[in-house]
Amino acid sequence: MSSALSLVQSHDVADAHRRPTGDDMLVERARRGDVDAFELLYRAHSARVYALCLRLTGDAVQAVELAQDVFIRAWEALSDFRGEASVATWLHRIAVNAMLTKRRGDQRRSARVALADDDEDDARDLAAGSSPARDVGTAIDLERAIASLPPGVRRAFVLHDVEGYTHEEIAEMTGLASGTLRAQLHRARQLLIQALNR
Amino acid sequence: MTANVDHLTFDQLCELADAPADAAWSETWRAHAASCAECAEQLRALTSLAEESSRLPREVAPPPELWTGIRAGLTPRARAARALRRDASRWRLAAAVLLVAVSSSALTMLAMRGRAVANATASASRMDSAPATTAPSTGQLPAQLASAELGYARSVDALRRTLDERRDSLAMSTVETVERSLRIADAAIAEAREALARDPGNGVLQQIFTSNYERKIDLLRRATELAPRT
Repeated sequence: MSSALSLVQSHDVADAHRRPTGDDMLVERARRGDVDAFELLYRAHSARVYALCLRLTGDAVQAVELAQDVFIRAWEALSDFRGEASVATWLHRIAVNAMLTKRRGDQRRSARVALADDDEDDARDLAAGSSPARDVGTAIDLERAIASLPPGVRRAFVLHDVEGYTHEEIAEMTGLASGTLRAQLHRARQLLIQALNR
Repeated sequence: MTANVDHLTFDQLCELADAPADAAWSETWRAHAASCAECAEQLRALTSLAEESSRLPREVAPPPELWTGIRAGLTPRARAARALRRDASRWRLAAAVLLVAVSSSALTMLAMRGRAVANATASASRMDSAPATTAPSTGQLPAQLASAELGYARSVDALRRTLDERRDSLAMSTVETVERSLRIADAAIAEAREALARDPGNGVLQQIFTSNYERKIDLLRRATELAPRT
């Protein structure tokens, strides 16, 4: 299908998780403060990280901020990288954490007080037509429709259906119960089907 | 057989779309979908959505200025500024948990009082007013909540293990704050559970109960973020 996101480029990325040797060497150099090595890591992984950030935030400006945060956090946490997961997976986890942290900050700033799960609120808002995602009905393709989903359900959909993580992996990354994630994922699919059928 | 089966729910259709084609548990649902045009259409839409999603490009070229911003953030001065912000967040963490615990406790009390007032009003309106009886205290959660609690418990255990592993990298004062906050969160959960045992059908209490768990998980997650891997 054609994408509404003009920045989206087709690449074969099946080998994105298979760069352990080169990455390990670069990580080792970067740990010693070698910024050039870190830039090479950035060049190798920035397109995947940025794609994830773009889909998690649904906004190009926020995606740049988030991706920037991800790589700065990664630089600071290089000494913690133990090579158990690939660099790509490690960066993805940092991206999800950074996204969650950012969202909490946004919520604090807007002084929202809610007992119910915020993501459920988002879904209810969408149903009521009062959320920023109310234009989901005008979406003309999948990318735009995903970008228009409420943040919580979008995160579940992007991580599971686009990135291919399992429920258990997402639960570990986000700290949410798998039942909650399942509900968010189903809600995302329902909203997307509705949007794409219009 | 399938003629007697009601339409599949959207959740069931999602489970079906995710299940392997030969999953034994899905046989009845698949049989129904094969004979029901409405369910078959929804299942087709779900399958199509999954296929299109999996084909989306995994890479998007970032704007050139992204690296410039990152490069500027790697300087010692920028790092020092972020460290200061992190210190501030430790205090916010403790304050947030205390606030949640206090408000949760107050809401539990309000929810119970609201239900008590409603019960008293209903009792008073009955002509043959028998002595009011309270709901039996079984100490058990409704099945749906008990199931949700299992999921929460797994998340809590996993995060707790991670936190314990990284505990040594945290300052003693931070560990004490986190532990104190966890005890408060546990007390809030216990209080909601106790209230639910007396009034298992109270939707507000059910929501408070699950919200308390969500917040405990959030606290644990934030604490593990503060603690780098050792």
